[in-house]
Amino acid sequence: MEVANLRKRFGDLEALRGISFHVGAGEIYGLLGPNGAGKSTAINILCGLVPPDAGSARLNGLDVVRQPLEARRTLGVVPQDVAVYQELSARDNLAFFGRLYGLRGAALRARVDEILQRVSLADRDREPVGQYSGGMLRRLNIAAGVLHRPRAVLFDEPTVGLDPQTRLNILELVRAIARDGAAVVYTTHYLDEAERLCDRIGIIDHGAILAEGTLAELRRAAGEREIAALRGTFRADAVPVALGALPDLQLIKVTESELLVSLASAERQLSALLPLAAQLGEVREVAVRQPSLENLFIKLTGRDLRE
Amino acid sequence: MRTAGIIAAHHLKRLARSPGLILLLMAIPLTLAGIEYAAFAPSAASGKLPPIKVLVLDEDRTFASSAVPRLVGSGPLADYIELDTAADVPSARRSLQRGQASALIVVPKGFQQALLDRKTAEIRFVPNPAQTISPEIVHSMLQMLTAIVNGLLAQAQAPLDAINAVAAAGRAPTEDEVAEISRGFFRAGERLQILNQMQELTVDVKRPAGASQGFEWGAGTFFAYIFPGLVMFGLMFISQALATRLLRDREAGLQRRVAIAPASRAAVLAGGALYLFVALTVLLIVLALIGNLVFRLELKQPATLLAIAVGFAFFATGLQLMVIAMARSEAGAQAVAGAVIMILSLLGGAFVPLESYPAALRAIGETLPNGAAQKAFVDVLVRGTALGELLRQVGIIWVWALALVAIAVTMERRRLAA
Repeated sequence: MEVANLRKRFGDLEALRGISFHVGAGEIYGLLGPNGAGKSTAINILCGLVPPDAGSARLNGLDVVRQPLEARRTLGVVPQDVAVYQELSARDNLAFFGRLYGLRGAALRARVDEILQRVSLADRDREPVGQYSGGMLRRLNIAAGVLHRPRAVLFDEPTVGLDPQTRLNILELVRAIARDGAAVVYTTHYLDEAERLCDRIGIIDHGAILAEGTLAELRRAAGEREIAALRGTFRADAVPVALGALPDLQLIKVTESELLVSLASAERQLSALLPLAAQLGEVREVAVRQPSLENLFIKLTGRDLRE
Repeated sequence: MRTAGIIAAHHLKRLARSPGLILLLMAIPLTLAGIEYAAFAPSAASGKLPPIKVLVLDEDRTFASSAVPRLVGSGPLADYIELDTAADVPSARRSLQRGQASALIVVPKGFQQALLDRKTAEIRFVPNPAQTISPEIVHSMLQMLTAIVNGLLAQAQAPLDAINAVAAAGRAPTEDEVAEISRGFFRAGERLQILNQMQELTVDVKRPAGASQGFEWGAGTFFAYIFPGLVMFGLMFISQALATRLLRDREAGLQRRVAIAPASRAAVLAGGALYLFVALTVLLIVLALIGNLVFRLELKQPATLLAIAVGFAFFATGLQLMVIAMARSEAGAQAVAGAVIMILSLLGGAFVPLESYPAALRAIGETLPNGAAQKAFVDVLVRGTALGELLRQVGIIWVWALALVAIAVTMERRRLAA
């Protein structure tokens, strides 16, 4: 999967500002970004639903704009919301999606059997899926997305709202799909999932990829620094100058209600930071975050991933 | 096209798995038709209207006043009017309020005396205010009857004078006087009979061979007039229910999932349209067969009927596709579709025959797809009209259908691209 300098504008909103990334066969690429960062636009372009203004997106060498049908034949998509026909059985659902991808007859039946086994739904394959639990529906949702053995798969936050055990099952399914050789793009709000699952991670915000690399590379980029998050009431315009007086401290973000700073050692520097912050307003809450991917994310975007 | 077929077959399979709503919606036109059939078909088949119930309150209680109900409820009028006697005004009013009678005829005190005195003798007519047609019919009959009785009285002046003379003398009439008075009335009757024997103007009623009463067509033909409008009304609501399923798919992300499969947008749109079109055509055929089996509707010119049905199913498909392409939510789509269907049905003559409309409204109704289809269906079912004579109506249906489908496709493509 290759995305090169992809740009897209909706009216005044520049949703994508020339993003580029590539995902190799068997690789899991985590695309992390808060709501409105541009993830959905990128996915919609890869799916062929939205044409880009500039740049290119290729799946297995096929341009999604010039060869949309051929490209989509090699793509699997697992949407965030469960999208299956509730009144049909799992088998009928999968048979329909399989036919859309050109599977027929015995080959279709064999593949449906195989995928039902894989997602542990073979014993309830003829029930209307409206009777399924949330976890079963999620597994069927994944099965419908990868039934046709796609060489590239987009997972759009497939574990939102699931219990820990079901999440683990889903993550294992994703790993298995990658092991089969698919290039996987995985978007999530859960940083721990990205840390556990993804081979490489791209951090996207305001339509641009701010950082990209393996988990180790990103951790190195984040450094060993900690982040102090102060909440309260602040005179935002006075903060940058005031903090400039403190050594080895970087201001990440300041608003009238929040102050984010990067520190070499919170234990050592907070004693100087807090009195100064108190002079700039009122501090009601202080939280210190240890070095992590989340810190890097906040450092790069100035906001929490769940915002 | 193969993908469109897969999508259409898939939706039809889903429909077959959950037919409850469709069966329920099919019951609407069938129930309406059944009620109309039960209410009017026997009358239409026999050629007789159900008798109109009329109350008579005789306040005069004389020989002449007692003749009024006998005149109204006998002879040829007996087939159309069913008389009942009212005891007093309050009980008569209660009967009218309960809808148990269409009118009240009051013969006031002094009625006979006014006749004998050659003064104006009045009969009061009180129509049931909750009814329109039946009281008018009774009123017209009463006016005709009054004209005849006035003619009789004009011919019977001599015997009336004789009765008055005997009454003025305060004695009983002699046998000769009774005989003379009777002869006077007999001669008056004879003179009226001469008028009745004038044969220059006659009404020729055509009936089926061997039938002593009734029109040239039976209950099935009567039904042919009302069934098409009700079926199209019902079918438009069924089309709304079918299209709502597509809208729900869209809201559940299923349409998106299908759209990212290796299928062109045209194929995805065509799949949805094909599903609606096939389902509606099949349902129209099923409704027609029910009409044939249950309501004795004679399905003349099957090919012509199919051409009209296919056109109407295509129109309903286009209408609903356009609505769901425009709609932002299911509730919005249902509100818009419901309003459009009701307006089309009212203007197109589903409930009141277009022939009863003012000219301008009728012209509008006949250019609507359901109005044109209804006229074409009635022409075929009643008169067996061939397709060649219905090109205008069929053309109207197809122009509407193609226009709506084109608009729906354009809007849907824009929506998908947005």
